[in-house]
Amino acid sequence: MYATADMLLTSPAPAAPEQSHETAIEVVLVKAVLEGDRDGFTRLYDLYAPLVHGILLARVPRAEVDDLVQDIFLHAFKKLHTLRESSSFGPWIAMIARNRAVDFYRRSRETVEINDELRGSNTQDSRATEILELIRNLPEAYRETLVLRLVEGMTGPEIAARTGLTAASVRVNLHRGMKLLREQLGFMEGL
Amino acid sequence: MNDDYLWDKTGEPDPQVQELEEILGSLRYQPKPLQIPNELRLPQRRNYFPWVAIAAGVSLAILAGGIWLSTRSHGDAPQRQAEVTPPAPVKEVTPSAPKTPERKNESPEEVVAVHKHRPRASVPVLSKREREEALMAKEQVMLALRLTTEKLSLVHKKTQNTNPANQIKNQHRVG
Repeated sequence: MYATADMLLTSPAPAAPEQSHETAIEVVLVKAVLEGDRDGFTRLYDLYAPLVHGILLARVPRAEVDDLVQDIFLHAFKKLHTLRESSSFGPWIAMIARNRAVDFYRRSRETVEINDELRGSNTQDSRATEILELIRNLPEAYRETLVLRLVEGMTGPEIAARTGLTAASVRVNLHRGMKLLREQLGFMEGL
Repeated sequence: MNDDYLWDKTGEPDPQVQELEEILGSLRYQPKPLQIPNELRLPQRRNYFPWVAIAAGVSLAILAGGIWLSTRSHGDAPQRQAEVTPPAPVKEVTPSAPKTPERKNESPEEVVAVHKHRPRASVPVLSKREREEALMAKEQVMLALRLTTEKLSLVHKKTQNTNPANQIKNQHRVG
């Protein structure tokens, strides 16, 4: 029924042409920012905010995500000079976002009521938060990839290029994560 | 069913994935401008290259000087040998010379002096200045050797004390 992980690993998707183009853009932008161009950082923010948003959404309460995205980019702005390879901006900021999510729970372990904050105002929103909660309960390797694909609308090659993961890993994570999610949602029984 | 649609949105659309995309799309990132405070300044990337280059240059100069001094002290020896003046003609009593009664009149001091002044061909004759230079060079080489020894012993100590756990492991493996 589904392609096995081995099949997926042996047939990696061809690299999308926009990947290298995007990498070239981020190299130019990082260099420009380091030379004092603040607008260059705004452009980097526009490119990578969905990635950071998705990473956070897979980990922290929805209500906290927007503020944390801003904090993470301000932190990245201050620490950009420590980035060794300009082409690694995506994996670098993804790592900052993951660490910040861990810090968030470390700091506010006893004060955050996740379930209450996840409640949506309308039916569609409520359904979305329920599914998001199911995704959050999946193993860590799958939840981030699934959120980036299903919520942020990125393709597998885009996720690989921006997070620094290999295309094969992303494909396997998507496939296995989706399989688990279908089981959780009851799609297997046609629900 | 292949998962091309899930992977890169190509191929036959998967209705379940499409439905999830539609529902979860409401949570998607909504663009908001990034507010960078004006007082927030970007620290410049530190450029260590000039300092590294200067340090490397100084190290190379010291190394070259040391090598030059050591080769000079070695290279001078044969030259000096060549410069050795031929033995000055001295009064020497040849064994074949017949013993004359006059020889009996030579004082013992005179004979000793004759043998004392015989120069050795293999030992270079150094002037005072050259000797001082040689001594200085020797001191420098000795200093360099001492420093190297100190550094080597320091490295030895560090390597022995870095991770005792590994050491035990290795010993265990070997044993």
